Amino acid sequence: MIWTLLGLLGRRILISVPLLFVVSVVLFVVLRVLPTDPVAMMLPPTATQEDVAAMRAAYGFDKPLPEQYGMWLRGALHGDLGLSTASRTSVTGMLADAAPATLELVLCGVVLGCLIGMSGGLAMYMWRGRVAETATDVTSTVMMSLPEFLWALAFVLCFGVWLPVLPFIGRINPSIHLPTASGFYLYDTLASGNLHGFVDVLRHLALPVMAVALPFAPGIMRVLRSSLFDVGNEEYVRLARLRGIGERRILLHHMLRNAVLPTISLIGVQAGFMFGGTLLVEIIFAWPGMGNLMVTAVRNQDLPLIQGIVLSYCVIVLVLNLLVDASYLTLNPKLRSA
Amino acid sequence: MLGSPRVVVGGGLVLLLLLTALLAPWLAPNDPNAQDLVNVLLPPAWATGGDPAFPLGTDNLGRCILSRLLYGARVASYVAITASFFAMLIGTALAVVAGYFRGWVDWTISRIVDVWMSFPPVILSLVLLLAFGAGVNRVVLGIVLVGWTRFCRVLRAEVLSLGRRDFVPAARLLGFSHLRIIGKEILPNALSLIVTLISLEMAVAVIVEAILSFTGVSVEADIPTWGVMIADGRTYIDEQPGALAFPALAIFLAVLGFNLLGDGLRRLFDPRLGLSRSQAT
Repeated sequence: MIWTLLGLLGRRILISVPLLFVVSVVLFVVLRVLPTDPVAMMLPPTATQEDVAAMRAAYGFDKPLPEQYGMWLRGALHGDLGLSTASRTSVTGMLADAAPATLELVLCGVVLGCLIGMSGGLAMYMWRGRVAETATDVTSTVMMSLPEFLWALAFVLCFGVWLPVLPFIGRINPSIHLPTASGFYLYDTLASGNLHGFVDVLRHLALPVMAVALPFAPGIMRVLRSSLFDVGNEEYVRLARLRGIGERRILLHHMLRNAVLPTISLIGVQAGFMFGGTLLVEIIFAWPGMGNLMVTAVRNQDLPLIQGIVLSYCVIVLVLNLLVDASYLTLNPKLRSA
Repeated sequence: MLGSPRVVVGGGLVLLLLLTALLAPWLAPNDPNAQDLVNVLLPPAWATGGDPAFPLGTDNLGRCILSRLLYGARVASYVAITASFFAMLIGTALAVVAGYFRGWVDWTISRIVDVWMSFPPVILSLVLLLAFGAGVNRVVLGIVLVGWTRFCRVLRAEVLSLGRRDFVPAARLLGFSHLRIIGKEILPNALSLIVTLISLEMAVAVIVEAILSFTGVSVEADIPTWGVMIADGRTYIDEQPGALAFPALAIFLAVLGFNLLGDGLRRLFDPRLGLSRSQAT
């Protein structure tokens, strides 16, 4: 059984490789048709034509497009995504610094969003037909209609400025010394036994995580609710009821396991959206992650950096979808034999 | 349809947005770009120190917030309507071709959608806009080029299942052309889904436009948009919270309107949802 599972996942991974290749080509072409000169920003206004040509040659921008792509691909396969034209440092290094911050934010956001969404979906099913269901439904529509960055601004206003109870700048109090290990501060503080630091990291995470989790939750809530309704009409639920099993136990032990599958496949899609949302949330909370890097890169028209960031976003989304597929397969025995 | 509170409230909000956009030049008390450097960061008219000439106060350059808000509705509704319409056109056309003819056409289109969807949506719009340069119609293009996949994926599945229903082979046996079957049999049956998707796509378009404006890669500098207002207002949050709060509220109401409308229409059209609901109560 484990082999069929691995086989299916292997096939998905095999599909992802050409997909990623096509994605990188598309990205390369889109970025190279830019009307602006990628090196124009790097030179002083007094630069001569020769200086410009030399700079273009140094970055390989003077070569034909397929050759540029070949050079870039060769580097990328060796983990070298080129040099940023704005800061002239390694793109790979900048990404390695920024990615843990974004991943920590998104992972916590997905977990909190799923918790809110699942409990909301269960609550809506339990309260079906009552006023409480409608109230939850209206709340979820409101939650969904405020995009991440508006939640972020509202939280900054409420809990940062008006009632200053939570920090809203950065990932950690700068006075806390952290031996950087993985870049995931929650893990780093715990691993080094710094409990005070761990609490501080949690407090810094609270507002941005809530901002990305709240618009994420309603989708989960609705899908879970409607699949609970579908499952609720099944024979085995009636049977369980006839056997005198408590309603709560039926819901949590029998129905939820079957109803949770469509919800799981939604999580992957939704998480892709979340990366778009983190863009502004990171700016608002001065979060040193990929979104912040991306916006800076866009403002500087830093092509190699943009390319590197977008490609890593795609890799992350692909891996995330693979994980979702894997959990889907482990949870759904029907698909294993197929 | 009027019995559904979602459709009524959502439709009302959408109508309000469209009316505001249409009538902005007559409703706005001031020129949205006129700077009054004597009256910067004024509070709303009802607060102490407010000026009745600027009902919602002024921003850091002394521009009337209410007027900018009203004109911002023009950009928001223009982007929402055109972007969702063209995204629908492209997405539906490809979905129908893929779902109806199946085979290698379907395979090709589905793979294109796969590639497109592996970019996080907002990120892709941002990159596209970087390549196109600023401008309202380029923003629309940036949203269309991302949004069509959402239509395509959902509608393809719908067309695929419609194509398996009896009335399609029956129409073929009667000698109807493919074009006629698609136009007279398939599309009318998918219409409710299309309308719902348009409404939800409009909400997405409003949000994406605001995100792009906030990032500073959206429309020309002299066009007031809600996203730009929020980005400007954020800097002066202590002096004039209204510069941030009012455009935020406007985005919320617009998105809420489109979401409620789309959601209400989906519930009205989807008999399966209605069934489970009535069984439950």
